[in-house]
Amino acid sequence: MAQDYTEYLAVNVLNEKQIVSYRLLSRALKVHVNLAKQMLYEFHRKQNAKTPSSVHATYLLTGIRRVLPDPPQSNGNGAAPSQETDGDDTIMQSSPVLPSSSIPQPSTESTPEPALIRSILLVKQEHLDQAKATFDTISSTHIYSLEPHALTDVQVLTECNRKVAADYASEDPLEAWKQYGTIQNPNVKRRKRGTAPPPPAPVAKTAETKVKPAAPTTKPSEPQKPSSKTPSAKPTPEPESKKPTSKPPATKRQNSDIFKSFAKSTSKPKQKNDSQSSASASPAPAPTEDEPMADFSEDEADDDDAAMLEAEKASDSAPTGKSKKERAAELAAMMDQEDEEMEDAAPTPTTGAEEAEEEPSNAIDKPVPPPQEEEPKETVIVENGRRRGRRRITIKKTVKDEEGYLVTKEEPAWESFSEDEPPPKKARLPSSNANAGGGGKTAAKKGGKPGQGNIMSFFGKK
Amino acid sequence: MADSEPTFRSLATSFTDFLTVAIHTILYERSVYPQTSFLSARKYNFAVRQSRHPKVCEWINDAVAAVESELFKGAVDRVAVVIYSKNNKPLERYVFEVSRFPKVPASDVDVPLERLDADGQQGSVLPLVDMEEQFRATMNQLAGCSSMLPPIPVGCAFTVAVELKEDGEAPTAHPQPWMPVQPRAPNDGASGNGVVTKPVRAVAAGSVLFETWIEQVNSDDGDG
Repeated sequence: MAQDYTEYLAVNVLNEKQIVSYRLLSRALKVHVNLAKQMLYEFHRKQNAKTPSSVHATYLLTGIRRVLPDPPQSNGNGAAPSQETDGDDTIMQSSPVLPSSSIPQPSTESTPEPALIRSILLVKQEHLDQAKATFDTISSTHIYSLEPHALTDVQVLTECNRKVAADYASEDPLEAWKQYGTIQNPNVKRRKRGTAPPPPAPVAKTAETKVKPAAPTTKPSEPQKPSSKTPSAKPTPEPESKKPTSKPPATKRQNSDIFKSFAKSTSKPKQKNDSQSSASASPAPAPTEDEPMADFSEDEADDDDAAMLEAEKASDSAPTGKSKKERAAELAAMMDQEDEEMEDAAPTPTTGAEEAEEEPSNAIDKPVPPPQEEEPKETVIVENGRRRGRRRITIKKTVKDEEGYLVTKEEPAWESFSEDEPPPKKARLPSSNANAGGGGKTAAKKGGKPGQGNIMSFFGKK
Repeated sequence: MADSEPTFRSLATSFTDFLTVAIHTILYERSVYPQTSFLSARKYNFAVRQSRHPKVCEWINDAVAAVESELFKGAVDRVAVVIYSKNNKPLERYVFEVSRFPKVPASDVDVPLERLDADGQQGSVLPLVDMEEQFRATMNQLAGCSSMLPPIPVGCAFTVAVELKEDGEAPTAHPQPWMPVQPRAPNDGASGNGVVTKPVRAVAAGSVLFETWIEQVNSDDGDG
């Protein structure tokens, strides 16, 4: 095992020019993270002894810093990042040790008092000594990652966590934590599902994100507070519609709800969620998306970003999780469908979520999943990647009832179809296009280009 | 980005989206504009940088739209993002070779495409997940590569250039988005300019096939 790490690091850092963080190393070699940190240090030392500057290290410093608070800034996490950033360092999180000094003093004072702030700092190796000097007391120093060349953008470190989440999602964190040294909450236990148990992969993701946000104590209060709101927010569909704020919390329980419904189809919903996450990320108002993104990525480059990733994926389906359950039951009863219906309903709750944002009325939410299916239950002939046959679909009619609500009624009808694989993806787009009402139009526009992310919402229409 | 029936248009669009992100990334990494003028965004499940200045974004959008229209004509061999020094000397070129895109006549831009793999099986024209992963890897490489290159002097400019295929028609319609320039001479020892090429990545996802590399022009003129 000692030789493995040299080989692994040599291949990944030197040959492939990838960034390797201690977490990624520990998962890859199945070792404790503290051992992984030592491995990184050893490799860094040896390589630079052989050829100087062949490997660049990013360090993580934890301790208490003395900083001058900046009066005009309103801070969500203890210190305005723009003030704290010296050079290329990034403050991960800071929670004020002394509450009195965390409140920005009014500028009537001539000399603001320096505040003692517990900080976790990502530091490039060039700035290590300089950063250490700003600390009052340092509780820990270790290497965070190794890369072939100095990082210009610290945010690329998030890629390491994405890899960890993607490649090692199948491991059950409730067992793996002993091996890896993840900080564990002893009160955490997995929920028992009455129906088919959720597939291991999403549960591992859920539990992993459960553990990760609970992990280091210096996590900002933001994710903690919304996460405690989650259980109470669960029963009511309304708060769920506030996607940006509920994004971090939505991970845990919601995830299980969704995947319980997708019990039979495991990979598809996940994959859909992948592509859906970006699709539904765009519906969320772009500026608010960018802000939490910017905040999070500036302040928590590693752990929370993984949580955010999971949160994004989950929360997009999450808001309609509960309604989905009811709809799924209705669906099953009404259509007597197989798991393909479930799959199809999977993308639709996401568009349903978009609808829920525009029109809080549950009436819309209700018929959205059922009419979406154009999945054939009747004859389907698959040949050469084209599905042909007759099938029963539901046509929606939207009428305004006496209260002024738009009520969508669905009526079954027959049609013959001929389409290319894969049908579920096609169902997503036509379904979003077919939605009646104002919400449908915007949903169609937003849902029509999955994978856009936030960057394209900055630009005009293309 | 692609519906169930990918057309050449969606292929080109996915490439131009990638190109937009790549240009923003190059501008950030090489500090053509101050790095503080970029905000963090996510694309392809990856943290990328995007310029905040509206004029910059507008210019990039226009340039990429012009590239797209050339792509539709199928005339493009390579797309290059060139960084010029203050004296209008090219310092670096980030080249995307797109000659291997499917050749589709302009009238068929919206026709759904099918793809036959080498073994005769029908492959996917635009495999979204695969493509996203490869784009992500390319962005990763791009972001990392630029730290290996020597820093460029302050006050550099950049532009987007397309090199057309030999049988392609030059876009001379009015209004003219492109300016014709002299074809750059291949390494002629007389001028003393050498070109160092660093490969970045070759992307092969369905029908999206292109290669990326960085060319550094070593100029001995002493103007940095």
